[in-house]
This record gives sequence, C-alpha cells and structure tokens, in this order.
Amino acid sequence: MHRSNHFNFSRFWSYLKMELFRSRKGIWMVFGISFGTLFILGLILTPFIEQDMTIYDHNDGYTFHILIGGFVLSSLTFRDLGNSLKRYRYLTLPVSALEKFLCMWFLTTICWVIVYTIAYYCFTLIATPIGKLLFSPLKFTNFNPFSGIALSAIKYYLVIQGIFMVGATHFKGYILPKTVLTVIAAGLACGIIFVLFLSDLFIAEHDCAGYECEHLSTIGENKFWSIIKWIFWWALAPVCWIITYQGLKEKEA
Amino acid sequence: MIQIEDLSFGYSKGIPLFDHLNLSLPAGNIYGLLGKNGAGKSTLLKIITGLLFPIEGKVNVEGFQPQNRYPDFLQEIYLITEEFHLPSIKMARFVQLYSPFYQRFDHDVFNAYIDEFKLVKEQKLSNLSYGQKKKFLLSFGLATDCKLLVLDEPTNGLDIPSKSQFRKILANAIHEDRSFIISTHQARDMENLIDPIIIMEEGKIIFFQDYEQLSRKLAMTKQAKLPEDGSLVYSESTFGGYTIVTENKKMEETNLNLEILFNAVVSNTAKINEIFKN
Repeated sequence: MHRSNHFNFSRFWSYLKMELFRSRKGIWMVFGISFGTLFILGLILTPFIEQDMTIYDHNDGYTFHILIGGFVLSSLTFRDLGNSLKRYRYLTLPVSALEKFLCMWFLTTICWVIVYTIAYYCFTLIATPIGKLLFSPLKFTNFNPFSGIALSAIKYYLVIQGIFMVGATHFKGYILPKTVLTVIAAGLACGIIFVLFLSDLFIAEHDCAGYECEHLSTIGENKFWSIIKWIFWWALAPVCWIITYQGLKEKEA
Repeated sequence: MIQIEDLSFGYSKGIPLFDHLNLSLPAGNIYGLLGKNGAGKSTLLKIITGLLFPIEGKVNVEGFQPQNRYPDFLQEIYLITEEFHLPSIKMARFVQLYSPFYQRFDHDVFNAYIDEFKLVKEQKLSNLSYGQKKKFLLSFGLATDCKLLVLDEPTNGLDIPSKSQFRKILANAIHEDRSFIISTHQARDMENLIDPIIIMEEGKIIFFQDYEQLSRKLAMTKQAKLPEDGSLVYSESTFGGYTIVTENKKMEETNLNLEILFNAVVSNTAKINEIFKN
C-alpha cells in the first residue's frame, strides 16, 4: 500500500491546524485555570499559609501545573471518539491513524512543554515583582526553565503522559477520572504484591529512620529494581504510544 | 465498485446479523436501501464506510478494504448520517478546515450548491436548522467529488420543496464513476430517484432489482375487488377498493409505488422472488 496512506506531511499539517483550531477553547481554559490558580493560590495565598517561608521559588508551581495541565490536555486528545455523533466524522476524515496519533502526540508533548514553559517563564517575570511588592521580606528566586527540577518535571511528564493518551482512546467519557482511577488501581495492585512479597523483610528488625531505611537502600541496589526503573523511563511511554496508535486504528463506530 | 463476499458480522457473539452476505454494487447508480428498523441497513453502511469491521468475509470498496481506513479510501467516500454533529463555526471556516483533506474538493461546485440551497456562507453552522445543516453537508459531500456518497435517512427534517430540490440535485450529481447509497424509511421521498432498489430484512438482501425489471415483472393497480386468479402478490385496502400488486403478465405500464412495493416484498418475499426468477 502507498506510503502516503500512512503519512503525508501536507495532510498532517492540515490536521494539526484543524486540531489546534478546534482545541483553542480547551487550550485557553487550561492556560487560564493554570495561571489563575498559580497567581491566586501559589503567589498570593502560599506566603500567608506558610508563614515561615523565606525563599519563594517557582519550581513547585511549574512542576504541578505542567503535569496536571498536560494530563488534562492528553486525556482530551481523542475526545470525538467518546461522542457517538462526532465519532463518525472523526473516523471517516481522510487522515491516517498514524497522522492522528502523531499530531496529538506532538501537540501534547513537544508543543505543550515548550509553550507552557515559555508562558510560565513570562508569568514568573510578572509574578516575581508583584510578589516582591506584596511580600517584601520574602526573597523571590527567578525561574530557570533549564534547572534540574524543571527538566526533571518535563522528563516525568513525557513518560507518564502516554498513559492519558491510552485512556483517551480506550475510555468513553470521563476520561481523566477513569484514567486516574485505573492508575491508582494498578498502583494499589503493585503495592499489594510488593507488601505480600516483602512484608516479612520490613517486619523484621532493621535500621529505619524516615527516608533512611536499610532495606530501601538494598532494594535500590537490586537488579530487579534497576529493571523496573528502566521500564519506567524507557519502555512505559513507547508502549503507551503504541497502544494508543493501535487503539485508534482498531476503533469502530 | 463495492464488492461484498461472504460477509459475516454481529454485535454479540453467536448472534450474527449478517451471515455470509454477498452483494455487488457497480458504479454509476443511486442505490436505495430499504428495510425495517433493525434490518441491518445502517450496519451495512458502516461496514462499507470502514466504521465497523467484518468478522469474516471480504469487503472491497473502490479497490480498498474499508477497515484499513486509508486516507486515499476515505477521501472517496462521504457519509451523511441521520443524526450528526456540526461544530459551532461558520460554513466558510468549516470548508477552510475540512476541504484540504479532499484533494478534488471543488469550491465552485460547493458555492453553487450553497446558493441553490439558499444558505449563507457567513452563517454559523450551529445556528442552522436541522434541514439546513443537511443541505450544507450534502453540498460539502458533493463538492468533495467522492466516488461514493452514503446518505442515511437524507430527507428526514427536510420540508416539501427541499425534498424535491434534494432529489433534483442528487439526480444531477450522479455520473458513471460515482454511486450514491441512500438508506431510508421514507420510501415515497425517494421515488423516481433510487434505482436499483435493495430491500433488507434480518441481515439478508431479500430483494435487489432495478426499475426496468420491476415494471416488467410487477403491476400495481387500484381495483374494486381482489383478483381470484392467483396472480395477487400483495394488496392494501384503500378508500373504495384495493391497491394490488400482481405479476405483470400482460406487460402493462403501471406506476410503481415504492412503499407498496416494500410492503409487498416484505410480506410475500417468496412469491416476489419466484416472479423475478422467471
């Protein structure tokens, strides 16, 4: 079969423009809610709540909102599939499943990370002087989008975001809560297995004081744990993307 | 153009709707797909357009397997369902966004249809009436120059002048490389437009004939009394007599009423098929 039936740049570009136009309200809402809560809850209320705060940095706000905002957008990627009337047009639109997937992947990963980071940086340029004016003894640090914390947040987002794309193709309606519930259920199942296998080890007497736990350091050095970490960082996202693409290809009305 | 071989499909396991269904639809016709609710019309249309996948058998539309949903295939079909959603944007914007996916989209043709239907391009789609939305979708679908236009209950929601306008536009838009499939319950609205006529019942094609054959084999007349010579296929009591369907042994020219034909086929399939076998 002709290659253009899987990917054609001009068609991809038209689809990207169409999706951006169609999602414009959703994108503005996510930005509006993100920066609204960042300003009101993050900047104005936090210094009141945390009276002993001496330095205000923007890293927590950035991490929280890039994850939550991105997950919301990712779970909206294939929203037409959840609506029986919109589904017909979506599935019969002359765009390949690969193009649909790549477009939404591109918008919710690369575009979201770049646009949100730039917007957040601009927000901090405005928020910092306002914060200094309102809370003069408090020291405000500038936001560095290339700092370790920011880059780490992006890394986590890019890995976990795929789960929400899977949810977007496989759930009908209430995609975000359903995906979150599934992740929690999977986490609980893993936790139970972990407890079943390792409960004896932790019940036995060992050196443990808060984060410094003898067994946790031993587990961290274990080969099995290295495999889990490798799966999380390198396999989870590609597997989720493949499942999403297959889900799109096999979707019926 | 559309070739269906041994198609099996069912929504629930073990309860097949289609069991080894065969159908061949050459290009250049306006096919009328008639059937009761649940006969399988919409399901068949969904399979033809790649929205549902067959469990068994082959479906070939314009040289493509619909279930692959390749863009080259999808730009050759346009589906207008009975219920649909249109975004809350202006017509012109819709065309600007969606037409690039159809390589042969003709803006002049689209504008001509829009003018004929007396629609305003600057109007928001969400502000149009149901009938106007259908007219818009039909204009867009025809302007794509697709080879297969599939219409599910197209005349629902159209007023009387719009129905005849709709028939006129479809009749003018058909050509030898193109086909329309119209699924409907409103058989009367489709009279003098659809040819051949396909009637489905419980997932089976129980009747598939063109008008020429129909008028040669069947006669529909109004009579005061029912014939007693065994030629009666179907009758409906009307004011002061009966409308009857009989075998056209005398090769009379009679007016065919689609609704009565449908009732005749559904109520006496065996006899109708016997007549057409001869």
